[in-house]
Amino acid sequence: MRTSPFHKNFAANNATFANRFETEIVSRVGDAKNEYETIRNAAGITDFSFMQRFRFPEEKGLDFLDSLCAGNVAKLRFGRILHTFLADDDGMIIADCYIANNDEEFILLCESIADDDAVVQLLLSRGAAEAGMEDLSKSHALLSIDGYKAWAVAKELFGADVLGLPYLSIERYEYNGAGISLFRAGKTSEFGYLLLVEAGKTDLLFDACLASARKISGGLCGIDIHNDLRLEGRFFNVFAEGVLVRDPLELGLQWMIDFNKEQFAGRDAIAARRASGLSKKIIGICAAADVSGFTKGATIVNGNDSVATIVATCFSYTLDKFVGLALFSVDCAYAGLSFNLGTGEGPKVSTISMPPIMPKSLTVKLDDM
Amino acid sequence: MTETMQKEIEQRREIINTFKTELIRRLNLPYTPDDLHEDVALLGAGLGLDSLDALEIVLCIENSFGIKIPDENIAVLRSINTVVDFVISQKSKKEGQQ
Repeated sequence: MRTSPFHKNFAANNATFANRFETEIVSRVGDAKNEYETIRNAAGITDFSFMQRFRFPEEKGLDFLDSLCAGNVAKLRFGRILHTFLADDDGMIIADCYIANNDEEFILLCESIADDDAVVQLLLSRGAAEAGMEDLSKSHALLSIDGYKAWAVAKELFGADVLGLPYLSIERYEYNGAGISLFRAGKTSEFGYLLLVEAGKTDLLFDACLASARKISGGLCGIDIHNDLRLEGRFFNVFAEGVLVRDPLELGLQWMIDFNKEQFAGRDAIAARRASGLSKKIIGICAAADVSGFTKGATIVNGNDSVATIVATCFSYTLDKFVGLALFSVDCAYAGLSFNLGTGEGPKVSTISMPPIMPKSLTVKLDDM
Repeated sequence: MTETMQKEIEQRREIINTFKTELIRRLNLPYTPDDLHEDVALLGAGLGLDSLDALEIVLCIENSFGIKIPDENIAVLRSINTVVDFVISQKSKKEGQQ
């Protein structure tokens, strides 16, 4: 199992660890509600070193990544990030990817539902060695700052020009001698920054981020709460709905695909399914806080007919109810309808428009920062 | 499926199709209406539209449905589905007033 360069930093703060696809993750640091409020109201520091990370030289990397991933890497401007995915030959998702055009290199960050070896082998089988791939998964670490006030932490560490970075952009900074690639990204609906740093420089960065976050009532968080925040914000989560559904069309990820591209992994299979039309798709659902059985795998029925299967759930502290995603027959995959959980007499489950909340970060103006 | 549910779906489907078609046309998006999931984020993540595009979306809603979006109500623009919710609620209000 691959461990994180930040392991000892989080372990010293009583973190709970778990194994996900042979990679160690910090699943939780404190109480779930506290972690939720840390990110929704302040800034949470989370270890994202579970992501696989690769560097490619610009020229070879462009062609390789463009022929591999579903999005159009050739159109990716300098300093920007493309959010796309990597599929297998059957057009089923393997990894949720960020591809960053970072000066004379491309950086690929993957959240994969496969272990490191399988991902590396897949990349090598498609020509990654010839494209000059450098695996940074062990030599570097990733720390995230997410939250309504995450910008304050980033500003303290890297200066005020961080505030001008648009969502899905990358910039290089120096912090006390450590070269850091900062990804302005995140999937919590709040401000988000991913910091890529050499494994030998992690202590300094961790201490500085945590100290800065604590000044604004922030703190450490685990990945579990990110799963909930992603769902609440309707960000795709390859480790939740992705691992169960895997078809990017049923997942509603067409926006990650450039259908005009002649080549990417899984293109023909995806194009064939697109041409024949969808029979199922995932949509948002909710249920009252006292409902039991609102869990992954549960069936949603209309009268006696099964119409959907729940694929992801969480409790929304903002809405004070359960929210989730379910794979519905397209005939009834519309928001605003009422069904039952399990049987015709089961608790009420409603289909809803996602995302169901309005994050506070969307209301922050540059002048307020 | 009950008749009421069928009617609700029909009403929603019609608004969704109108909005998606107009959105694709106005913003020259490289997708078909079926490609656009109703929950896809319009701004920032997802379709990644910017503030100029947001203005175009507001005009699209006003022209397609005769409904104005207040300047401060950016929450409506979270996704296609939240836009459709807004259109349905405003239509219901209008019908209630008549």
